[in-house]
Amino acid sequence: MNMPIAWLTLRQLLGAKRTLLLVAAALLPITLAIVFRLTDPDVEPARFIAQTLLGRLVVGTMLPLAALVVGTAALGSEIEDGTAVYLLSKPLPRRVILLPKLAVCAGLTLAMMLVVTVVAGAIAAGGEEDGAAVILGFAVAVAAGSVVYSALFVLLSVYTTRAFISGLIYVFLWEQVVTRIFTGTRILSVRQYTIAVADGVAHVSSSVFDGNLDTWKAVVMMVVVTIAATYFAIRRLERFEIGETA
Amino acid sequence: MPAPPPPTAVPAGPAAAIEVAKVSKWYGNVVAVNDISFTLGAGITGLLGPNGAGKSTMLHMLSGFLRPSAGSVRVLGQSAWKNPAIYAQVGLVPEREAVYPFLTGWEFVRLSARLQGLPDPDAAARRAIAEVDLASAQDRPTGGYSKGMKQRVKIAAAIVHDPRILVLDEPFNGADPRQRLHMMAMLRRMAAEGRTIVFSSHILEEVERLAEDVLVIVSGRLAASGDFREIRRLMIDRPHTFNVRSSDNRRLAAVLVGVPAVTGVDLEDTRLSVRSSDFGALTRALAPLAREAGVSLFEVLPADESLESVFSYLVKR
Repeated sequence: MNMPIAWLTLRQLLGAKRTLLLVAAALLPITLAIVFRLTDPDVEPARFIAQTLLGRLVVGTMLPLAALVVGTAALGSEIEDGTAVYLLSKPLPRRVILLPKLAVCAGLTLAMMLVVTVVAGAIAAGGEEDGAAVILGFAVAVAAGSVVYSALFVLLSVYTTRAFISGLIYVFLWEQVVTRIFTGTRILSVRQYTIAVADGVAHVSSSVFDGNLDTWKAVVMMVVVTIAATYFAIRRLERFEIGETA
Repeated sequence: MPAPPPPTAVPAGPAAAIEVAKVSKWYGNVVAVNDISFTLGAGITGLLGPNGAGKSTMLHMLSGFLRPSAGSVRVLGQSAWKNPAIYAQVGLVPEREAVYPFLTGWEFVRLSARLQGLPDPDAAARRAIAEVDLASAQDRPTGGYSKGMKQRVKIAAAIVHDPRILVLDEPFNGADPRQRLHMMAMLRRMAAEGRTIVFSSHILEEVERLAEDVLVIVSGRLAASGDFREIRRLMIDRPHTFNVRSSDNRRLAAVLVGVPAVTGVDLEDTRLSVRSSDFGALTRALAPLAREAGVSLFEVLPADESLESVFSYLVKR
């Protein structure tokens, strides 16, 4: 991995205001978990964690949003402001530029979401056995989901200057509306893959939660989507043409 | 620590460092560059043209950031398009001001050296920063730099690997007169070492002072190329004007009116202005005619051989 590019990307992302907002937003699930413990509701903790706290809030909203913010900022913002030229005018194969950027995006998203998953989950579970299994399942799933979402959004950012809006449409229209109405489209949803992996790893009763996709099918799709997105992003970067305004 | 001296020799390569052959670039129905061919060797070439003429498009194609719709752009014998390997020998200074605002000047130039895979990036960065006279500000974040300082740090990053070819898009934007002179001297020195330098500028005086040759692009076409004084002399459909100072301007004017190559004379106080349709014929005839008339010539200066004159003629044509 090209360390200077990874170092540059990390500094770029950690200094961005959007990343700081994400860190602040990460407190939301933790706050919700605390409220859950304090109010002692009737619902089973493992079920609450799987279906609401981690399933809906973390995997359904925060994970794709974090990956979108980070993934589109890592290379898309450089293309937009013209600084990408300083990387692209070096004698480096385009994969050497893209892969460290993708690795930093996935790593940063994963680190943020893993902390949120484990901390919020542990607070809500309060030591319950099923809760621990669910947290483990979601931790693995969030790690895998971070990589897939990052690859997807980095790809978007090298294809369009409207990557952020396009990503929001994918997350909130496709994944949250279309896949609910037309169940056959779930095979094209990273969120569904992530839930399926959590289900496969957690091994809890289907009354607690149940993924809509077969775990192995989800894993294969995750690998296929990640490889394809990375390949097409590198290919696009190889044919990168500077705009008249650049 | 003092910066190490820059290398003074450039490795030998093909005579034409840049070869542009029948290149066109169009966007849909809009033709930005139309069937342009030229070759560039060592030395400084200025790229001139009105706004929207296709200068930036041409520079982007030279630097491998735009694919020609037709024709080929070759840099040191290799295709410029989809060929990152050329950047080991090419330095690029883009027009846009943006640099990574969170990096210091030192970090930015050193990053460039590291990405070039140089064996001693620190020494290379020190030398490049010294070249552009930015050592005193190298530890400040570039986000706080003035426009001129950003230009200089961009140039430092572009020359950190001692490229054989340097492509600069409006490099003097925002630079104060002292910095401008400093950078011009640096570019002249690099050209004297055998490097190929091509730059665009909308300031004719900059091009006139720095460039040995010019490429004039008008409406996407190459209107002229070469030494602009030579170009002017080839414009036979436009009279040449000379300002003459002599011991007797009135007598000289009377003699010159009878010369077929002279199309007009203006006599004002101490100045005689002579217009001619044939540069060569007049310059050959002037001294013998003055001698025959018993007039001493003190000064003969072409009045419209400036780049501005050439440029305005080509643009209006």
